[in-house]
Amino acid sequence: MFRYHRLLAALSVGACLVQLASAQTPPRKVVHVVAERFAFMPSEIVVEQGTLLEIRLQSDDTNHGFRITGTKTNVIIPKRGRGTIPVLFDALTPGRFTFECSKMCGAGHTMMKGAIVVKPRADRQPPAAHPDR
Amino acid sequence: MNRKSSSLPVNVCLCLLGLSLWGPGRETATAQPATPAPSVPSQSPSDVTAPDPAATERARLRADLERLEAQLTMLKQRLSAIEEKPTSGAEPPPADPASALAPDAPTPSVAQAAEDASAQELVTGTGPLSGYMDFHFNKRKGEDGVLDFHRFVLLFTHSFSDRIRFVSELELEHAFVEGLEEAGELELEQAYLDFLLTPKFNVRAGMLLAPVGIINERHEPPSFYGVERPFVDTVIIPSTWFDVGAGVHGDLGRGFSYRAYLMAPLDATKFTAEEGIRDGRQKGSEANVRDVALTGRLEYRARPGLVLGTSFWHGNTGFETPRIESRVGLVEFDGRYSQGRLDLRGEFAQVFIDGAGEINDVVARTTGVSPNIARQLRGFYVEGGYRLFPSTWSHDFAAFARYENFDTQFRMPAGYQPLGEFDRTAWVTGFTYYPDPDVAVKFDYVFLQNRSDIIRAPNSFNLGLGWWF
Repeated sequence: MFRYHRLLAALSVGACLVQLASAQTPPRKVVHVVAERFAFMPSEIVVEQGTLLEIRLQSDDTNHGFRITGTKTNVIIPKRGRGTIPVLFDALTPGRFTFECSKMCGAGHTMMKGAIVVKPRADRQPPAAHPDR
Repeated sequence: MNRKSSSLPVNVCLCLLGLSLWGPGRETATAQPATPAPSVPSQSPSDVTAPDPAATERARLRADLERLEAQLTMLKQRLSAIEEKPTSGAEPPPADPASALAPDAPTPSVAQAAEDASAQELVTGTGPLSGYMDFHFNKRKGEDGVLDFHRFVLLFTHSFSDRIRFVSELELEHAFVEGLEEAGELELEQAYLDFLLTPKFNVRAGMLLAPVGIINERHEPPSFYGVERPFVDTVIIPSTWFDVGAGVHGDLGRGFSYRAYLMAPLDATKFTAEEGIRDGRQKGSEANVRDVALTGRLEYRARPGLVLGTSFWHGNTGFETPRIESRVGLVEFDGRYSQGRLDLRGEFAQVFIDGAGEINDVVARTTGVSPNIARQLRGFYVEGGYRLFPSTWSHDFAAFARYENFDTQFRMPAGYQPLGEFDRTAWVTGFTYYPDPDVAVKFDYVFLQNRSDIIRAPNSFNLGLGWWF
């Protein structure tokens, strides 16, 4: 009997969690980014506010760095053929967040930049203004 | 009945408990500062888009828990970082990526990342000093072999702030320099300040690389096939082409990026028939800037692996011959494509020299010998390479072949005849072994031909060792 109660309780909690999870878990987006001298490809990533962005970084040549300015995010991307490194970015605030190579990779190192563009969520945008009549 | 009714309050209590346990976690996740949350490596479940709704929900739940776990790990790392000695400088602290993979972050991502790249691998080479070296053995047919430490290059960088950076490249060519010796050169190829304003618009000033062609800005030995740089990137585009100047650069979005500089002009009196405009570079050494040259490049990254570029140079060149209207114009187109293990690239460049005939006359009167420079130079090449080892291996082996056609007397001024020895074609074929992606052991053979019946172009055999760090 006691086992039966525990099972029911566990199922109830599980159901609640699943309901909550489906209601509150942010959408997740996975983007593959390839780094090579002297660019990230793609160099611009657009996500909607509230998205949990996972950037999977891979190099096509040497070690590169990946640093999102204004944050602590700063990782080394492994050399070609040495795998990928994932980075999470919680797009909570609309805006443009620049990322750049933080490991000297050659003559054009400082040109190696990109941006994460976080667009305001549609349901948070103000209603469209009525056109002039 | 009693059993059912008695289980109800228990269930409600457990649900409330579940809610109370769930609430703070989500609250923590959303109560981030205005800046985005610092990231921690994580693994997104592959079943995010699974068709089964229950499975999707489970996956989402798992992902959210995973994220909370990752944030907890990140907070632990922050705490550790605060407790430890603070690091300085713009370069990533060596511990950063490694700490992301530390055992106290046992998320699935950690296991994956650790599997993909060892912590040792991730933390190598993070210092402010970088460089590359080129060590060659060249054997021309009919001549003695030459062993040459061709290039020893060190790059120094410094960040004054996130918006002001310094980059420099100091190169020692042919290992030895003595006053006025022609054998070696000590060159300051780059030394500039970058003022980073917006992604689309930034300012740069100092000693700059001309943004022309593939090789001039990408000349690290492991980044190109062949022991020596392509002929087109040597005698048509005079790599390494550097001079003092200032300009702007940026990323326009949608795959487009640009550079546009004003730079010190070329000196037309130093042009030659064999190497075109190469000796006309002032190299930022008390450069005459009575006129300035405008140069620029537009690059388009159409899709992963495909890069298309075009560049130009335009400027007066007659500051040593003020009575002659002399200008140099250069147009260039290039493309690179990598798909899987296949690498393809091609480049076309053409140089226009206004006033070439007058320059020949003036130099002939001054020195007694006409440089016989052309009014147009042209060159192009196509290259294919194939990496033979699987991409999962830590070392690699590539075979390549390149066809080049380059003529430094493509069109001559009125009254001057082109010489066949300067209309050249080359087949360069060989292989590169990469014990590490930054180390290249190269071999190639060059079949060089020209249109002269008298002076034959010698074939050559080359071995090279190049590395970047």
